Amino acid sequence: MELGSIDRELFIDAAPEVVFEVVSAPEYIRQWWSAETEYEPVAGATAQLTWTDEQTGEKESTPFTVVEVDRPRTFSFRWTYDEDSLAAQGNSLLVTFTLVPTGTGTTLRFTETGYRERGWEAAVLEEYYNDHTSGWDLFLPRLAETARRVTV
Amino acid sequence: MLDLLLADGQGTATTLSASLPVTRQAVTKHLIVLDRVGLVRSEPAGRERHYHVDEAQLARAVAQLNSVGSQWDARLRRIKSLAEAIERAKNTKK
Repeated sequence: MELGSIDRELFIDAAPEVVFEVVSAPEYIRQWWSAETEYEPVAGATAQLTWTDEQTGEKESTPFTVVEVDRPRTFSFRWTYDEDSLAAQGNSLLVTFTLVPTGTGTTLRFTETGYRERGWEAAVLEEYYNDHTSGWDLFLPRLAETARRVTV
Repeated sequence: MLDLLLADGQGTATTLSASLPVTRQAVTKHLIVLDRVGLVRSEPAGRERHYHVDEAQLARAVAQLNSVGSQWDARLRRIKSLAEAIERAKNTKK
């Protein structure tokens, strides 16, 4: 695992057009993310993702901005930035779905980046980031393995 | 590098670089970064510093990211089953 991003790849036995609809349309996002939202899937569209705690009824929201819509190949968006700012590199997490036709189905690649800048003791890391990219790449992939040993 | 520090308990830039395919200077730079984000702690030792891993901090950092990763795993599983159900429904109608 590389600590700056989350990367996944999976095969889905459905056409890219179908998968694209599921990852990008508000009606499906409600189902797979349990989040209420309403937006047009076009670049630059902004919205809120809202989750409701079933027990307490409390609502929690985060802003959401569509970055790229290239049907049925790429859908990306930024989220988790401050309400009163615009989504940009460095203040948000960028989620990208890339769809590759594979036989009768689709290979879905998922990445979420921005942790290095935001999620985790961020400011200091960011300062060093450009200098140290290759260095982080060298040893950070082993962190997960190492940490499992530590926590056991 | 963290593996080495964990295995040996502690190390200096010199001892670590002996076991890694990078220069002592490169190791020193990385140790400084790790120190600033709190993943390692250090004490002066002669002209060098002894470094050891802050295990609690490391475990926290990785747990945080693992938990985000597993949340996405669950969402991706739901995306897969939704899309496959739609595809099956589409094919039955034909």
